[in-house]
Amino acid sequence: MENTRSNIPSISPAAVVVTAVFLLVSVIGINWFATYVPVVLPEQASAESKSVDELFYILMIIGGVVFFLIQGMLLISVIAFRARPGDDSDGPTYQGNPLLEIVWTIIPAMVVVFLAVVSYNIWTQNSEPKASVNLVDGSSISINVTGARYAWTHQYVTERFDDNGGQIVINSGADLHTYIGQNVDLTLQTQDVIHSYWVPAMRVKQDLLPGDPAQGGRPTELRFTPVRVEGRAYPAEYPIVCAELCGDGHGRMRGTVIVYEDESQFLDQFYEPAIYAILNPPADPVLRGEMEVQNYICNSCHILDSLGWTSTTGPSLNGIAERAGERVPGQSAEEYIATSIWNSGAFRVPGYDQQMAAFGPDVVEAGNVMSPEQLYSIVAYLCTQGESSDCDMENASTTIPDAIQTVFGYEVDITFGMESDESAETPDAEAEAADESA
Amino acid sequence: MMTTAIDRQQKPKFARRSEADMRLKNNRLGMTIFQVSWIMVFLALIIVNWQLRFSYSEWPPAGVASFDPLLPSAATLALLLSLVMVRQGLQTLRRNHVAGFLMRWRGAIALGIAFMAIIVYEFASVSDAAMATQYGVTMRLMTGFHLVHALAILAIMVYVYRSGATGSYSRDEHDSWAVEGTAKLWTFVTLAWLMFYVVLYWIR
Amino acid sequence: MATIAVPLGAQGEQIEAEAVQRPALSEYLRWSVDHKIIGVQYGVSAFLFFMIGGAMAMLIRLELWTPELDVMVSGAAYNSLFTIHGTIMIFLFIIPMWAAFGNFVVPLQLGAKDMAFPWLNAFAFWLIPPAAVVVLLGYFVSPAEAGWTSYPPLSTLFSGDGQTLWALGAHLLGISSIMGSINFIVTIFNMRPPEMTIWRMPLLCWAVLATSIIAVMATPFLAGALTLLLLDRVAGTTFFDAAGGGDVLLWQNIFWFYSHPAVYIMVLPGMGVLSEVLSVHSRKPVFGYRMVGLSSMGIAFVGFTVWAHHMFTSLQPELRIPFMITTMIIAVPTGIKMFSWLGTIWGGKIRFTSAMLFALGFLSLFVIGGISGVMLAALPFDIHVHDTYFVVSHFHFVLFGGSVFAVYAALYHWFPKVTGRMMNERLGRIHFLFTYFGFLFTFFPMHVVGMLGMPRRVAVYVEAFQPWNQLISFSAFVLGFSSFIVIYNVIKSYYHGPVAGANPWRALTLEWQTTSPPPATNFADDPIPFENPYGYGTEAAAAYLDVVDEAFSGGNGSP
Repeated sequence: MENTRSNIPSISPAAVVVTAVFLLVSVIGINWFATYVPVVLPEQASAESKSVDELFYILMIIGGVVFFLIQGMLLISVIAFRARPGDDSDGPTYQGNPLLEIVWTIIPAMVVVFLAVVSYNIWTQNSEPKASVNLVDGSSISINVTGARYAWTHQYVTERFDDNGGQIVINSGADLHTYIGQNVDLTLQTQDVIHSYWVPAMRVKQDLLPGDPAQGGRPTELRFTPVRVEGRAYPAEYPIVCAELCGDGHGRMRGTVIVYEDESQFLDQFYEPAIYAILNPPADPVLRGEMEVQNYICNSCHILDSLGWTSTTGPSLNGIAERAGERVPGQSAEEYIATSIWNSGAFRVPGYDQQMAAFGPDVVEAGNVMSPEQLYSIVAYLCTQGESSDCDMENASTTIPDAIQTVFGYEVDITFGMESDESAETPDAEAEAADESA
Repeated sequence: MMTTAIDRQQKPKFARRSEADMRLKNNRLGMTIFQVSWIMVFLALIIVNWQLRFSYSEWPPAGVASFDPLLPSAATLALLLSLVMVRQGLQTLRRNHVAGFLMRWRGAIALGIAFMAIIVYEFASVSDAAMATQYGVTMRLMTGFHLVHALAILAIMVYVYRSGATGSYSRDEHDSWAVEGTAKLWTFVTLAWLMFYVVLYWIR
Repeated sequence: MATIAVPLGAQGEQIEAEAVQRPALSEYLRWSVDHKIIGVQYGVSAFLFFMIGGAMAMLIRLELWTPELDVMVSGAAYNSLFTIHGTIMIFLFIIPMWAAFGNFVVPLQLGAKDMAFPWLNAFAFWLIPPAAVVVLLGYFVSPAEAGWTSYPPLSTLFSGDGQTLWALGAHLLGISSIMGSINFIVTIFNMRPPEMTIWRMPLLCWAVLATSIIAVMATPFLAGALTLLLLDRVAGTTFFDAAGGGDVLLWQNIFWFYSHPAVYIMVLPGMGVLSEVLSVHSRKPVFGYRMVGLSSMGIAFVGFTVWAHHMFTSLQPELRIPFMITTMIIAVPTGIKMFSWLGTIWGGKIRFTSAMLFALGFLSLFVIGGISGVMLAALPFDIHVHDTYFVVSHFHFVLFGGSVFAVYAALYHWFPKVTGRMMNERLGRIHFLFTYFGFLFTFFPMHVVGMLGMPRRVAVYVEAFQPWNQLISFSAFVLGFSSFIVIYNVIKSYYHGPVAGANPWRALTLEWQTTSPPPATNFADDPIPFENPYGYGTEAAAAYLDVVDEAFSGGNGSP
């Protein structure tokens, strides 16, 4: 083009001043924003969170430079190059500058390479498998997390055994218990749709992917190491959030990470009491049932005021004992409740179109395995839910086992409060024992 | 250098194309882009087949007999021959030999029907064991999807052939776009099938 | 000095165009193969859907005013609400809206009488109303609740029958988009005047070309994915059901292989608009024309290699790094565009027309979307903010701060050409202020709530986020209100706006070298483009524009 050099726009002194002021403001602005970093991110409760926030800080600095550069140039242009009133003329015919274009291609490219290298380093550092994960009492245990619409359940497969040699599994519901410095390594499985396990304070997130249950599902892994947060009282609590849309109750699908100060606090306040409770279950089936029912994902669908459940996917369990006898003609209240838990397809409450998950001694989902004894105690507990009860509570210790015997052919040993291994006569019960230890 | 009205009149290469030329040029480019675009659906189905293989430890999955490539190979051969005859028919038409064009397209249509018959047979004879796994399901998905296209385009071929029999086309490129376009569509069907054929029967 | 190009063909000033009438409004309700009619049909229907989708956004923000579920009857109802909001905004608003401007402007910029395939063009448009009916019917009968991304198994095993209709409707819209795009590519390659080499083509055409190439290459993957979804829902196949040997990640792979490039389908034409508007209204050539054109192609190409960054939390960890790198690379061509635009206005004579204000607004907001885009590409940080309000904020900065601002810029810029009347500039400025600040205070705080721990797609949230959400909701209502200003402006200006004349902005591209609105054949004779579509500031350009002014003065240039 004929007009090149002569048409390079000259910048007025006013614009230079504006530029200088703006650059000054930018530098102050970036620093000002940096002070807000702790406000816009949750506490740094894991080793990972520190490096992720470092990356965020780098991104903010580079992003801030780009932001202020571009907004600044925009501002200067708007002020310095506005057409004055009455000026109908055109701007200079300035078509480009190869050098400048190369510069603004190369520099962003170099910044991108730099960011990729930094991100890669932080990623490999954070995702590197660690030695001695989930260390409890000197040995590595596995911690399984199950996501089901709309609740999290955490299971600790301990290295302790009950009197029969069965491995003890602690079920801690929606709470993950850990302690500062423990290399947490969770195995995540979903029972239905995709969920995403997110602990904002730890800066970790991993999707739970549906897999073929016959092939052991499609477990995914999540790793983090809690660290001490200054000024926090321990045990400290951090929210667990479901980050992948999973349906009606997605927003309510929450949990809590409980971080103990050290391993001994973890053992004293959570681990040992939990094992003790499993080894010494209350003799009263109602009390035992109240404990058992919270080990399952029932809370993800049902309302039950006495336990604080609020989900509305399934029918409410408030006052279930008053209604249970009237649901299915010919079934007593105990029979109905037992049938509904183990054989959820048998009857569906009108107005609810989703079938409940299956529970029983031989279901494939590890979290849903339920022995006849557990069923008995849960039925006994649910039979207390209501002003009056259709269940024959006077003779519950015989009617409920009878009902289970009639409907499913399993014998329930009602002396389980003290000792229990007699029911292992039937082949099904053996399979159940195998399932439980798996 | 600036272009002027006078320049334009002086330079014959700037002469505007006639409407008919333009239409033919548009049709050709449009057809090419359509083919490049729509072949992507077939590619997507190949990706489906490929990714689902990783759900199984072996492919075909344990207990499922692999498809016998014999009949499909014969069908592929028929389709290729049919394509050759379609292209030759077009060239023959370009040499203004309408009878030769019609003869070749008769053969092409017959071979096309033979191809489809074999593939329909293959589609129908997928075993229940195979259908219980993605091996059989993706096979039916892919062959079924291809059959729908083959059927539609074969129908167009028959229609074009019938128009040709009543003397609708001449050697002029503008008059015989329907023949050229249909030939291109049949080429598309053949290419799509070749991809599927290799993926379904040869890549284990 | 070279001779002066005459824009009006060999006959020069001899054209005696009869006064051009605006098409009767009933023309727009009928089947028509005129690209100008079709463009308006696309535009008005897309804006209608924008209002419907916007009303849904208002409901969403109303629900989020409190941490509890109060406006909607259930979480599922809320899920279907944002599902249909996303679907409408993407498939029924932005993509057709760009087809509107592409249809109206591209053939005119190329000096063509119509698109390459006028009938196909009309057909592509008329697929949209039935598709919209199908999608909306699904919403009112038994709504889909799996989000516009429709991840299985939520979409296959749980969502209502509306999901099936959703997939059918999306199928039709995909086919419409492919047809429209084939038409654009052929038009741009074949219908240019002989003098207009590809390097003299207006940048809107470059952008539409890049967009169309993406659409024809990527949309078939959507068709494939939707076919599988439909089969899973109605025919009992198990492509996405792990229990039957299927794989849920299969959907994510194929869907995002379409839907990430689709993001560029939604924003590239806006970038083309920006090149036009910034250059015309600052009276200065586009800085680095070739690089701006090529960077569109670069974005289109790299856009195909980044899809799995949407799967950073589900993909096998070792596959995540390559996608992080390709995603970051996108920043380079995008940066070239940003800097070139700044170079364009730098030193110019900026006219603060409403179109220019929205274009400058785009620049200032899109840079934020770009920065948060690079942040999201950085894998370790993305793991934290993946599927949170940070992401919601990012894509609204790109698709609202980017695309919608460009839509408004295009509206103010080309309205005179479409209707022959100028829009009210004062109302335009008010509209800009409401939109810009309403937008900024709606979407900027979302970054923060996302980082603090609020996931996206929730109807209930923890109480700590309520102040943030109330700020966001309030600003969203302001933003929603702003669209009524532009509707009023359009209606008022259509009837009472000042007569525009052929070339109110004194722009050099060919669409301005004919009457407003253009006659049925667009030009009285084959027009001759100026040597450089953005060659402002030269004597030759001024002379060229003077010829046009003279030719169309005296009652010919206006309705």
